[in-house]
Amino acid sequence: MRSLNLHLKILILLTVSLGILITAYQIFILGIPLTSDETDDLWNIDAKVEFQASPREPVKLQMFVPPLNQDYVSLNESFISNNYGVSINRADGNRKATWSARRASGKQTIYYRLVLTKRYSGEQAKAKGPIFRDSLPVEGAEKIAAEALLAPIRQHSADVETFISETIKRVNNEADDNAKLLLGGDASTENKAKAVELLLSIAHVPMERVHTIRLAAEIQQDPELWLRSFNGEKWLYFNPVSGEQGLPSDRLVWWVGNDPLMNLEGGKQANVTFSLNNSEMNAIRLAKLTDESTDAGFLSYSLYGLPLQTQHNFQIMVMIPIGVLLILILRNLGGLQTLGTFTPVLIALAFRETGLGFGIVLFTFITALGLSLRSYLEHLKLQMLPRLSVVLTFVVVLIAVISLFSHKLGMDRGLSVALFPMVILTMTIERLSITWEERGAGHALKVGVGTLIAASLAHLLMTVPELVYFVFTFPAILLILVGFMLAMGRYRGYRLTELFRFNAFLKE
Amino acid sequence: MFGLWKRWKALEELGIMGINRRNADYVLKYNKRHLYPLVDDKIITKERAIESGINVPEMYGIISTEKEIDNLEKIIGERSDFVVKPAQGAGGDGILVVADRFEDRFRTVSGRIISLDEIQHQISSILTGLYSLGGLRDRALIEYRVVPDQIFKSISYEGVPDIRIIVLMGYPVMAMLRLPTRQSGGKANLHQGAIGVGVDLATGMTLGGTWLNNKISKHPDTTNAVDGVQLPNWKGFMTLAAGCYELCGLGYIGVDMVLDQDKGPLILELNARPGLNIQIANNSGLTLRAHAVEARLAELAKDGITESVEERVRFTQEAFAYMAPVQV
Repeated sequence: MRSLNLHLKILILLTVSLGILITAYQIFILGIPLTSDETDDLWNIDAKVEFQASPREPVKLQMFVPPLNQDYVSLNESFISNNYGVSINRADGNRKATWSARRASGKQTIYYRLVLTKRYSGEQAKAKGPIFRDSLPVEGAEKIAAEALLAPIRQHSADVETFISETIKRVNNEADDNAKLLLGGDASTENKAKAVELLLSIAHVPMERVHTIRLAAEIQQDPELWLRSFNGEKWLYFNPVSGEQGLPSDRLVWWVGNDPLMNLEGGKQANVTFSLNNSEMNAIRLAKLTDESTDAGFLSYSLYGLPLQTQHNFQIMVMIPIGVLLILILRNLGGLQTLGTFTPVLIALAFRETGLGFGIVLFTFITALGLSLRSYLEHLKLQMLPRLSVVLTFVVVLIAVISLFSHKLGMDRGLSVALFPMVILTMTIERLSITWEERGAGHALKVGVGTLIAASLAHLLMTVPELVYFVFTFPAILLILVGFMLAMGRYRGYRLTELFRFNAFLKE
Repeated sequence: MFGLWKRWKALEELGIMGINRRNADYVLKYNKRHLYPLVDDKIITKERAIESGINVPEMYGIISTEKEIDNLEKIIGERSDFVVKPAQGAGGDGILVVADRFEDRFRTVSGRIISLDEIQHQISSILTGLYSLGGLRDRALIEYRVVPDQIFKSISYEGVPDIRIIVLMGYPVMAMLRLPTRQSGGKANLHQGAIGVGVDLATGMTLGGTWLNNKISKHPDTTNAVDGVQLPNWKGFMTLAAGCYELCGLGYIGVDMVLDQDKGPLILELNARPGLNIQIANNSGLTLRAHAVEARLAELAKDGITESVEERVRFTQEAFAYMAPVQV
């Protein structure tokens, strides 16, 4: 027993000191901030390329990646692919990544990830660009239409800037027959850009296509086309649809030129999806460190190195031990009676979807109805598995009905119930009714209320944003928790409720 | 806050055992998990008890498959009273007590007349796991019906009172008599509302009682005083309980026994996680007694001695005899 105790003490000491050491290292040596207060715009951009590789053919995928010579500074860039060789080359102000593999088959997925932020200081590189170009060849009716359009544009413009925006406006004027002829009935942005280019080339004004990505989180987007021209001093950017001048600050130039984003050999059905995420933490410093410090390897093993979607999941997952710890304290120190050990944590997770107040109401309502069904089924003397199945089906139907009604009543809150884990509800009903039979209604009610209290507290604790940030950034905290849990494993003191349970001894 | 701390200290002073201490220091330490089936399954407990010559209610037969239900008549034979129970039932559910028979009909202890078919249906329900906790398949046990000794008539309401003795490493450390009440529905479980009455280990004399965590001195249904009753054959109970350690190998158990008017003390079942309210019934803490036993064990281990059942009983009867509070 003594050796066991020593063993346990060493283990606790080990986990706690390891946890403290790692966290202290992160805080003091790496300088990772303790709170998420000082936020900066930090963008995580994931481009996910999916395609179907042709069997028995080498695969070569070329894709433009941001040139990174503008207002943004890259903090971290990674090319995530399995079995592919990656090379980067620069050409004409663009950067192109090439993934290649001798053999690949089936569906392929390649990630390109870029973490960037606005550049605050530093000299802007001197812009350079062409100021003259040859006319594109144009014949017949189109030539006449182009010239008819150019005449008033010349009249209404004073310099290159006004000339270009006037041209774009004319091309976008749907009432103009000349413009219509040039567009040939195709009003896509791409085609408009083509018409604008034709007109500008006749006036020997050079123009380039610029493909941009909008820095906005959680929207579906494709690269957006802009036009630009060099006026001798700087680049002027134009929206090919509105003629509006100036690139909004939330646009990131992905590549320049007429080539498509991607070029795939040895595969088909290539598809790119962009997902962006604006980190709400001051991970800017964290990310800077990733680039600057020599032991970046350590940080790349932090949770921030995971793909964005997975990061979201982990932000929930790392909080589960915190919830479990709370249940442990409530049960073993407080003496609160709950249904099973981890049911409250599962219910707390479900509250994420529904919100606390609404979640409690739903939980109580569904459990109460489920219990009455269960007590009815009791009379039929069914075996456990069929009985559970009936209750589960009933819960599903009930949830469907609640969703339907709340939707009809215009409360979309009720729809979230669909995600309320129904298996948890079913098991809760089953266990509660067993408790009811064995220990009576009073005890079942006590346990039910205890479960709800524990779940609510766990939910509140698990959703404190500062705590989520802290645990997610310093996961070694979990080791300290483990130390505490180990110590709790041999706690022999009284539970709070026992101080009252044994009241009889204190009355003399 | 200060009040709570004072409470804590006072309880600790009295050696009251809390759930955490029971689990950490006794249940987890002395009860090996793989031995649990011995106490969870009443049939296995009974078989082991019979092997080691410990008194249990006589087993008439076991029914473990649907087909064997046909043997029921043969098992019952000419007997007019018997008990049918699930081997792994909990909380007294699924138990059928037959007290008498008229030709081909039976009368249960509560006076209901049932046919053989109904008994067979009950057994079928037991087999499908209706009364076992996990809903797993179970076996039905047909055994001798215990007729409680007349001594309990005066202080008991109905049902069969039983005697629970907590046994630590073969040393009986605390005992109580459990009396069913109207509220407990004839069952002897304290959390269902039965009364626990402390028993002096040395003499078998009942002490004060506990009911729903309070101290009481009278039975709430019969209003008879529960203290000062001499339990007959007390030595027999103590020896029986102490012997259960050898029987199951679990170091910390609650032994539930009954006193049959013909057969004397019999073991009903063993419990690997006995409750803590026995302390209120005895107005005494378990921790102090458990420590005394552990000290004794350590002392004996040094000399390499293991005590026999009789020696263990003698030790605890001397060490834990009830001392009446000194009247001033």
